[in-house]
Amino acid sequence: MTAQPATLNGGWTGFRAAVNGDDGAANTAATDLINLLDAVEVPIVALRRDLMIAGFNEAAADVLRLSPSDIGRASRDISVLAGVPRLEEQCSQVIASGVESRAEFRDGDRSFVIGISPFREGDRQVTAAVLTFTNVTAFRASIDQVIYERECTKAILNAVADPMVVLSADDRIQSGNRAFYAMFFELASLRTQLSEIVAGSHAYQRVEVDHVFPGEGQRTLILHARPLSLPGHPERRVLVTFEDITARKQSQVANDLRAIAERNDGLRRSEAFLAEAQRLSLTGSFSWRVATDELTWSDQLYRIFEFDPGMPVTLELIGTRIHPEDVPLLNDMIERARGAGTDFEYEHRLQMPDQSIKYLHMVAHGTRDEDGRLEYIGAVQDVTARRLSEQALGKAQSELARVARVTALSTLTASIAHEVNQPLSGIMTNASTCLRMLAADPPDVDGARETARRTIRDGDRASDVIARVRALFTNKESATESVDLNEATREVIALLLTELQRNRAWIQSELAHDLPAVTGDRVQLQQVILNLLRNACEAMVDVHDRPRRLLIRTEREDGDRVRVSVRDAGVGVDPQNMDKLLDAFYTTKTDGMGIGLSVSRSIIESHHGRLWAEPNDGPGATFSFSIPGDSESVYGRDTAMRPS
Amino acid sequence: MMPSRWLVSVVDDDESVRESLPDLLRQFGFAAEAFSSAEAFLASDVVSETSCLLLDVAMPGMSGPDLQQELTRRRWKIPIVFITAYGEGSVGPRLLARGAVRCLVKPFSEAALLEAVRAALGRPCSRPVTAT
Repeated sequence: MTAQPATLNGGWTGFRAAVNGDDGAANTAATDLINLLDAVEVPIVALRRDLMIAGFNEAAADVLRLSPSDIGRASRDISVLAGVPRLEEQCSQVIASGVESRAEFRDGDRSFVIGISPFREGDRQVTAAVLTFTNVTAFRASIDQVIYERECTKAILNAVADPMVVLSADDRIQSGNRAFYAMFFELASLRTQLSEIVAGSHAYQRVEVDHVFPGEGQRTLILHARPLSLPGHPERRVLVTFEDITARKQSQVANDLRAIAERNDGLRRSEAFLAEAQRLSLTGSFSWRVATDELTWSDQLYRIFEFDPGMPVTLELIGTRIHPEDVPLLNDMIERARGAGTDFEYEHRLQMPDQSIKYLHMVAHGTRDEDGRLEYIGAVQDVTARRLSEQALGKAQSELARVARVTALSTLTASIAHEVNQPLSGIMTNASTCLRMLAADPPDVDGARETARRTIRDGDRASDVIARVRALFTNKESATESVDLNEATREVIALLLTELQRNRAWIQSELAHDLPAVTGDRVQLQQVILNLLRNACEAMVDVHDRPRRLLIRTEREDGDRVRVSVRDAGVGVDPQNMDKLLDAFYTTKTDGMGIGLSVSRSIIESHHGRLWAEPNDGPGATFSFSIPGDSESVYGRDTAMRPS
Repeated sequence: MMPSRWLVSVVDDDESVRESLPDLLRQFGFAAEAFSSAEAFLASDVVSETSCLLLDVAMPGMSGPDLQQELTRRRWKIPIVFITAYGEGSVGPRLLARGAVRCLVKPFSEAALLEAVRAALGRPCSRPVTAT
């Protein structure tokens, strides 16, 4: 290596030569040593006793920016080394004392620790100082980081309200947050618990402690203990945090007390509600254990059966109250219930000691306990009032039907009377005139003849009316014949004309010329038309702001059907009520009975047709029926039906 | 003041009444005119000469009571005898209460007619000054 007078090696060469003198074998060893030093990354500089640079390695050349020409120069003349305070002084001391020393050195971002060691000759005399520059930049940065982290953590922990402390195995405080020191907690008083916690083998422990604080009284604390694993510290450390649950515990107790009070109160109230509800709804409840026939009744059920409260209830006792006609029903019910175990519902009567009748409606729900034993829970309602009113309603309905028929009849009678009275009036007046003309002097024979003729004509008119009425109401068997609905409609209009006029209704008819004949009962179909017209007329009674216009129309429909529709300008019908309209007894009118529409529907249906109502675009409604024409009629005598 | 022949006007939509009643009235010695509707009577030139009105109750269009009201509104005071084919019902008393002289139910007798017309003629008859 000496053959290569490298610049740096030259420095060492010079240093070595200056120290040891020239020697062949030693020269080889020195070259190896110099190479070794150059391989070391730590900068190394040697200073002579006079603090002149004796040599340096490659790392030093790089870091301290030294060149071979710096060998022999005073260290103070090297700008980098000159920046280290008291370096020369320290080096002199080391050389003088032979004791190592240390200095710190910062070069830009980099930090170094300078180790100053004495260099001893063979005679142990210190002849030089060796400076090693250890780069601690990363080390220092990590220390700064650790300090920063520690300060942050400390700030956080000190802000936490819960006291925290790290204890050593002998219960000594290692570290605590501010809250811990503010607590004035006497650890000594918890010696036993703390020892157990620290010695405990559990990963996490939770201990509730009641502790009396001077001036504050007793508080409840939860001690959470967690073992800490700290790298490089094999000793056992335990982190203990203290949670003060005094307030929470107090409010929980208060809540529990309140909840219990509310539950009791609620229970009392719902019991009271139930009893009241049972009393008001006339509903009693029972339970029935089928296997033992053990029956439990509510107070209301005792009242319904009129047994003394608390009396032991048996099926036999119940049997004494059952209406004799319903006893088989009850027995059947009991038999079914014993087997089925499913929910069931029954209605039966009671016969009370005073012979009065009660109607009961019972609903029961079957349940089974863990052992599979069947028990029914049920409700029994006294529906006597409802049943009685239903019966009364039924009676009222039939009465209503009778009244409706009578009313319809009296309306018709008035109409017929009017029709007959008109020509009768003519007859009487003409007859009087005739008599007077004949009694005149001289008799007015021509005038008398004319009035007599008019009398006969009015008589014919009266008998026409009677014939029409007879045609409508003769109670002959349902006559199936070919009917011209145009003609039938005209007759009905003629019969109703006066009534329509009296109601200020303007009737307009649009009768199709090409109307096919239908097969059916002429009188029945005329009754339907009559009903529809009268119904339309009644719907317009309260109309004052527009003409009471009534349009009756006959039309030929597809498939040779015939449609007759009656359109009014009345109050109209609610689409939702359309279906109900045709039901018996439903009416939108205050004085109508509605029965006419249901009878009409039966008639039309017996003619294989249908009857319907629809609201108009404008005011009012249109009622129509449609029946098959002759060509497609399926009407047969045996399917004919007389209206009831 | 009394005209030589009293004019009795008949208003009825029924043709047999219009034909028969005026003839009988003429037999009694009255002059008689017949109209098929209230509107036709109001439009005629005999309103001011009519001393008694035989008026049907139920008619298409303007009814008898409507005409009665219309005459009152126009301040024509013509005694009215209503004639109606509806025997039952309470229309009669109401019409009488509103000033009708009689209400005859068809068919009525010659005597009843004559009594009613005479009663009507006994009533004062007046017309507004401005009327023709």
